[in-house]
Amino acid sequence: MLDQSELIRYNRQLIIPDFGEEGQGKLKDSHAVIVGVGGLGCASATYLTAAGVGHITIVDFDTVELPDLNRQILYWEKDVGKKKVIVAKRKLSRLNSKVEITPIFAKITEENVLSIIDRAQVVVDGLDNSATRLVVNSACIKQKIPYIYGGVSRLRGMITTIIPGQTPCLACLSPEGVGGLGVLGITPALIASLQALEAIKILIGHSPSLAGKLLLFNGDDMKFQVREIRRNESCPVCSPTLPQ
Amino acid sequence: MKAVIMPGFSELIIIVNPTQEVTREGMLSIVMPWLYAPWLDAREKGIIEVEIAGDTLRTLLTELSARYQAANVDFQPINPTTDDLDFDYDVFVNGKNYVALADGLDVRLKDNDTVRVKMLWRWDG
Repeated sequence: MLDQSELIRYNRQLIIPDFGEEGQGKLKDSHAVIVGVGGLGCASATYLTAAGVGHITIVDFDTVELPDLNRQILYWEKDVGKKKVIVAKRKLSRLNSKVEITPIFAKITEENVLSIIDRAQVVVDGLDNSATRLVVNSACIKQKIPYIYGGVSRLRGMITTIIPGQTPCLACLSPEGVGGLGVLGITPALIASLQALEAIKILIGHSPSLAGKLLLFNGDDMKFQVREIRRNESCPVCSPTLPQ
Repeated sequence: MKAVIMPGFSELIIIVNPTQEVTREGMLSIVMPWLYAPWLDAREKGIIEVEIAGDTLRTLLTELSARYQAANVDFQPINPTTDDLDFDYDVFVNGKNYVALADGLDVRLKDNDTVRVKMLWRWDG
């Protein structure tokens, strides 16, 4: 149930058809985990907090550095040198004090990933490297938790929503690529906003729009494309022929 | 030149003027069906055959790009601004990165050369 202050606070989304008090109630009772609170994670965490997701776990092992400030909007000059998850929790709690924010200061590994994503209804990608994404991807497949991949560089980004057992996972696609190419802050903000939208759809029981699809954004010429992708029947992580 | 294309995972594998029959034997399933967009009738067999006017890597990539764009697929390995390979892609000829070739993108392709065009994913956050 929503109280009077929540009815006022979330009025603009409560009046959206197919969302309403029921959708808001589901958001309030939900738990999202955001892995990585950098350019992507700062933006998705902000919008999920503002929207009223009841419990958000944020995970990162970094401290704030000056070059982060072009895109990691939860961190300001006075935060340089501090732990990102602690600063982010403080800011997010000031944005919406009714949201429970759990900060985890840790590097995600194969050993701790299952406990980190435990009981999440959705995992939102905010990472900055392929190796950790593949670790999270495998854990989400194992725990049957939807995982919303997002990645950026320069003015380009991509997203896909991974629904275990239904859609391709990251390992299906044998993705390759390099990081450290630079990024304009607007790119992760845009991609993370779309990730947050996918997360909200999942949390309120709607179908995510990018399940089995790859959204490609090219900010150089402002192109959006959505392409179908299929499961790899021989995927080492999610193949239906693997022993459960 | 004749180019025989086999879409892989996040890549196109292209055999130039093959002197033997090209099959998908040993290759895994298709996960990106949109790579067939300009040649829908090739989807079932998994092998695309096209004629390219010219014999360089640049010509091959430019012509493929034009055919994909005609099918409303944004596949543009050569960036029109820089006239070099776009950072969304990497290209190998017989396993060697194109930058390591003496003529780079202007290398002349020979019979049975294997060109791999990889579509790179975004990893930064």
